[in-house]
Amino acid sequence: MTISAEPSATLSHLYRADGSATFSQNGYTVIGAVNGPIEVQRRDELPEEAAVDVIVRPAAGVGGTRERHLESILQSTIRQIILIHNFPRTLIQITLQITSTPENDSASSKLVQASSNLPILPTLLQTTVLTLLSASIPLAMTLASISFAINSTGSSRKIIRNPTLEEFQAANSVHVLAFTSNGQLLVAESEGSFTLEVWDEVYEIGKDFCCDVTEPAGDDIMQQDGLDGNTGGMAFVRSTLEHKVSADLHWKD
Amino acid sequence: MAVSMERFVLPGESLDAEYLPSHPTLPLKLGPGLRHIPPNTITPTVAGQLCSDKRKNAVWVEFNGGRYIPTVGDLVIATINRPSPEFYYASLSDYAPQATLPNLSFEGASRKTRPQLQPGALVYARVSLANKHMDPELECVSSSTGKSDGLGPLNGGMLFTISLGMARRLMLPRPAEQGRVVVLDEFGAAGVSFEIAVGRNGKLWVDSTSLKTTLAIGKAIQETDLKGLNPEEQKKLARKSMKDF
Repeated sequence: MTISAEPSATLSHLYRADGSATFSQNGYTVIGAVNGPIEVQRRDELPEEAAVDVIVRPAAGVGGTRERHLESILQSTIRQIILIHNFPRTLIQITLQITSTPENDSASSKLVQASSNLPILPTLLQTTVLTLLSASIPLAMTLASISFAINSTGSSRKIIRNPTLEEFQAANSVHVLAFTSNGQLLVAESEGSFTLEVWDEVYEIGKDFCCDVTEPAGDDIMQQDGLDGNTGGMAFVRSTLEHKVSADLHWKD
Repeated sequence: MAVSMERFVLPGESLDAEYLPSHPTLPLKLGPGLRHIPPNTITPTVAGQLCSDKRKNAVWVEFNGGRYIPTVGDLVIATINRPSPEFYYASLSDYAPQATLPNLSFEGASRKTRPQLQPGALVYARVSLANKHMDPELECVSSSTGKSDGLGPLNGGMLFTISLGMARRLMLPRPAEQGRVVVLDEFGAAGVSFEIAVGRNGKLWVDSTSLKTTLAIGKAIQETDLKGLNPEEQKKLARKSMKDF
């Protein structure tokens, strides 16, 4: 199985959900659906803001601590970008179903179970953002996410952007970052041993990648180029959504 | 219509002043999909196409939303859930907080004579109060004139669910030219008599002389919506479904 690092996405393909998206990257595929704002259970109700509920379902079996951990990271991130104060006493429910994960030849399946939670996090974050945009839920901003693996041998250092699972497991340290469209850091999860300089370098590269400033709309050739090159995270979200909006508004001149 | 300068926007983008209309006297009107952050920042909150109307000094984002969010003045089709001494509780969309419809906000309604609505009945109503801290309120009578203006219970017919974008297209002043929905004109031109009501909450009510016609019209609109048919395809679809009558 060849794994493509290139992201691909389908929007609003689930008929009954308010918004939905399927996103794949690095061999991970996630289907996301969002419903909201809907009625909330009395015990979860917040008087001044919307409750955000994130459910992560693994590709096989039932969710455990690993999924709960991912949910808690996603939930606190998503609360920052949804305009939750616009919908007090309601619920915004996001369900993410992992449908495929990269097969691992070098390690047995048992090892994968015990491995880190981080490789799938960028895919989950990106799916969530696309799902929210597909549902047209009012957002304060969008976000883009990226992962890094760092191999240091002696004095030389190799930074791999969007690493495969093998690279992830072989690395000295792994990092997942997410930036808002305003260029602010929203998620920073790291594992392994690294120095502060390494983190600073990762931060700079990540920021450049996630927030690469796209040309203003109307520059169609640039947008098309962006689709198949080594695109920035935000540029991908932008081109995907531009496609969806022009399909939705085909009836307009 | 003086709609101009269409541009794709994402939430949180900064809008340059050149995209906002300016008018010497009228205040700027912000439509759906935009928010004002004091003192002078205007940013989109959804992904869509930025549209502006110079004459009305209005700017808004055109998008196909997922779930209906009540807004004052919208015409909606509500389903009655249960009565109470003062109100009917009605639902605008599934799993959303219920809207209230006062018993007396019908044309000519008084304590003695007011419409008796059963659970499941449909009403065509206007949203009279939409506030984020309160449940939405509906009315079936114009509060200034006391006339119903076509609002009130919808008897018979069938209800179809359509996307919010389709509801908006059907509610444009001239759906055929502005919204490119010609399927209804095609049915009308063939002499099929029917009655429709469109709710901004993504509901379509259709009634006609026979159940077959009602279903055909409802299905045709749903198919136009789902597949994004262009005018020629809509005409073909209408002719095909009329063969069965």
